[in-house]
Amino acid sequence: MTEDAVAPTQTLDVKGKACPLPVIKTAGAIKALRSGDVLEVLATDPGIESDMPAWARQTGNELVSIERIADGFRVLVRKA
Amino acid sequence: MSDNDQAVVLYVMTHGVDEPKRCATPFYLAAAAAAMDADVSIYFTMNGPTLLQRGVGRRIGPKGERGEKLDHFIGQALDCGVKLLVCQPSLDLNDLALDDLIEGVRMIGGAAFNDMAIEADTVISF
Repeated sequence: MTEDAVAPTQTLDVKGKACPLPVIKTAGAIKALRSGDVLEVLATDPGIESDMPAWARQTGNELVSIERIADGFRVLVRKA
Repeated sequence: MSDNDQAVVLYVMTHGVDEPKRCATPFYLAAAAAAMDADVSIYFTMNGPTLLQRGVGRRIGPKGERGEKLDHFIGQALDCGVKLLVCQPSLDLNDLALDDLIEGVRMIGGAAFNDMAIEADTVISF
């Protein structure tokens, strides 16, 4: 399956929110999902490029992708 | 590590109301650690307990009148499950009692603090 084929179960828009809110909101949103569900996170905080891999490593959830988009970043996380 | 392999992180905060620029960082780092599924506590000693006085969080913020007030950062940390701890001698040092502090702060002694530090995966002090 390519990354493009991953369909998010839910989208979390934290554009304009500064560290640590993107991580905190991601943690909250992922708790409400089921194992295997994919969360799409839209963010503008540049810290997210280092924070999401760190968050995923510590929590055991899978970081599917981080891509730069026109107005920030699009992150896909699959719940463990 | 605790029973379920949860990382244990202990922050130590020694600065208080007279240094507002330093007031928020331990709270938001602790909140981020808790969001990473760590077991997180902040231990307030020396001037630290003054930050937990009722009303202080409304009054001060890391950027003064600009930006979020301390209340915002404290609330965020508590919402994420961060535990707030003080020691009795440092309350006394600041002429405070536990009743003067916001809800949810727990008092522990010096031996309990050292035990937590020895058992923690990481201790980070400010």
